[in-house]
Amino acid sequence: MAIRNAAWIGLLAVAGLATWLLVAGPDRLLGIDTGNAGMVLLITTTWAALYAISRMPREGGEQAVVSPGEWKAWIGLGFMVVAITYFLAHVQVFAAAGPFDNPDANRIGRNLVMLLIAWTILSSVLRSRWQGEVEEDERDRQITRQASGWGYGAMTSYVVALALVLGFSPADRLEWATHFMIGNLLVLSLMVACLFEHAAKAVLYLRDRS
Amino acid sequence: MKPGSATPIGNEIRRLRFEHGEMTQQALAAACGVTRQTILALEAGRYAPSLELAFRIARTFGVGVEQVFHWKAAVDDAPRS
Repeated sequence: MAIRNAAWIGLLAVAGLATWLLVAGPDRLLGIDTGNAGMVLLITTTWAALYAISRMPREGGEQAVVSPGEWKAWIGLGFMVVAITYFLAHVQVFAAAGPFDNPDANRIGRNLVMLLIAWTILSSVLRSRWQGEVEEDERDRQITRQASGWGYGAMTSYVVALALVLGFSPADRLEWATHFMIGNLLVLSLMVACLFEHAAKAVLYLRDRS
Repeated sequence: MKPGSATPIGNEIRRLRFEHGEMTQQALAAACGVTRQTILALEAGRYAPSLELAFRIARTFGVGVEQVFHWKAAVDDAPRS
């Protein structure tokens, strides 16, 4: 039991270091892209945590269980928090030149895409835990419907706020708003919608269990 | 009915499970094609099933829907959205 606890604490520490490298660390350390290293480390620790969870025996009691839908919601929420934090921590690189002569922006974009691909792969790996079992039913679909309303609301609010900022700010205060930056801020609106949807799902599942 | 909120529909699922050889929630869930958490939410009175699921549960126990589900008079009778 003590070894298992120590392993979980170790995993958490590595995940913390990975998040720091990804979000707040220096761009390069000993010639290595720390964003890339942080992302690989974060994906590895997530995979290790999921593997450990999948090897755990199911709880004997019938009350203490988390449904497949809730697992997906929490994992999606975690990935979206990391992706949006990473995006916002490096958002200034998108104010510079466009994608063809902006290696920093390309690096950030590549890391973000890889993070989202890793999330998709991890989600499908996690699905194997419920092989042969029902993964989604009418209650899950109802929760998803409710949560998607939150995602839609968040995206609408974000786009309206962005439109107001762009429309009503004096031109001299909009030097940062290059075409490339606005394009990326619109992509961020999709990520924000996704974040709110997963957060709402996780909260609804949690409330349903309490 | 929103998941998580109290429902005016009561049920006898827990009693029927035990009367059917102490059937587990997992076994009932598998028989009805839902997750165990949905059975848990139903038993706790936090979720009102669709008509289809209500029939599936009743058929699993070999009884009528009205023997599994009933309207709780104590709960507010006002229609809900």
